[in-house]
Amino acid sequence: MQGWLERLRRALRAARDIYEGVYIAPYRSTIHREYLRQRDLFFLLGFSDLLGVPNPVQFYTLELYPELIEQFHEWHLRMGMEQAPEGGFRCC
Amino acid sequence: MAPPHGDGASAGGRLPLLLDHLPGDLPDFLDRRLLFFGGKGGVGKTTLAAASALGLAARRQRTLLVSTDPAHSTGDILQVQLGSEPRAVVADFWAMEIDPAVEADRYIESVKRRISESVAPRLLDEIERQIDIARVSPGAEEAALFERFTKIIEQEGEGFERIVFDTAPTGQTLRLLSLPELMSTWIGGLISRRKKVTAMGRMWRNVAGSSATEASEEDPVLRALEERRARFHRAREALTDARMTAFVFVLVPERLPIWETEKAVGALSKYGIPVGAVLVNQVLPATPTEEFLVRRKEREAEHLARIERVLGDWPIVRVPLLERDPVGVDALQALAARLATRV
Repeated sequence: MQGWLERLRRALRAARDIYEGVYIAPYRSTIHREYLRQRDLFFLLGFSDLLGVPNPVQFYTLELYPELIEQFHEWHLRMGMEQAPEGGFRCC
Repeated sequence: MAPPHGDGASAGGRLPLLLDHLPGDLPDFLDRRLLFFGGKGGVGKTTLAAASALGLAARRQRTLLVSTDPAHSTGDILQVQLGSEPRAVVADFWAMEIDPAVEADRYIESVKRRISESVAPRLLDEIERQIDIARVSPGAEEAALFERFTKIIEQEGEGFERIVFDTAPTGQTLRLLSLPELMSTWIGGLISRRKKVTAMGRMWRNVAGSSATEASEEDPVLRALEERRARFHRAREALTDARMTAFVFVLVPERLPIWETEKAVGALSKYGIPVGAVLVNQVLPATPTEEFLVRRKEREAEHLARIERVLGDWPIVRVPLLERDPVGVDALQALAARLATRV
């Protein structure tokens, strides 16, 4: 009796995992990718000067550095740069 | 004392510092709170801005004269030492000179101070390095100048009934005045981007549940950007309000200043900045008398002597004032023939 209940519980858990894997996970990763994409775009617009692209508001985005520096590292990794780009923060 | 420059209206030399009675009403173009004097270099905008400001003060208007011209001849023509804070010169009259380089340094310092409070020490050096790069980038001083400028309009100028700006030569000034429009558009773009990021972040946290790190409710980046935009917006409102602001063009009756002023008036109306008046400086008397010419010649002799004194190490060539503007190849060739005359 006990073993039967346990098996049922496991089966339900497996069914939930499969459901998650088939439906939720792709959705979740799509959302995550989109989130990162938006974030990268924001970085590009606000800090293009770090990549050597003139930025008309560079002087005013200066004050945003402290809020965003932690994200800068992930950003340049995702942009395909192993090392921080020349002229930018040497975060690694 | 620095050599005088920009004082195109040299007749009369020094300005009277105490004007007790001025006849008549205020000219219409001075009937605004914010007055910008602009024009080509050397046409006398510094002189006329200072004279107008003193005229306002003589009518018991608390008046602040602000020079944003990097050449800084305001202190020179007033014959007082001016700095980046208002200095009382005569009754109801204050003057100051804003130095873009000093303003940029000041702004950079304030950013560094704020950053040192909120950033991990290991990143501090890197951020400071980055900020120092921004300090020397093109546009930094201009942005800092604009920053101070909006502060004067909004807060520092509060105690004054009139603020007269003596601006840099036309090109720079037009760019400065067009900044709020350009910058707020760009910042507006950043704000809508940032809002998308926040919205996507919220969606991502909803689907990811506890595996995603929780972000705080308020986004400091968005807040900073919105403050910035609000400031640009207010500056723009002030600049384009014809009841409050007027731009006064100064020129001399000569070809190039006319041409430049014509273009500048067009540019200003494009940005919606009201033009108050056009001041034509150095107009000859209706019938120039010989005495007038003699007096001018005496003034000129003093200036020529000064040129000999300060620039005497180099060859000096005197080119005469002609009866007609030398336009066209023939006239220029005729002029070329006179360039050989050394002193």
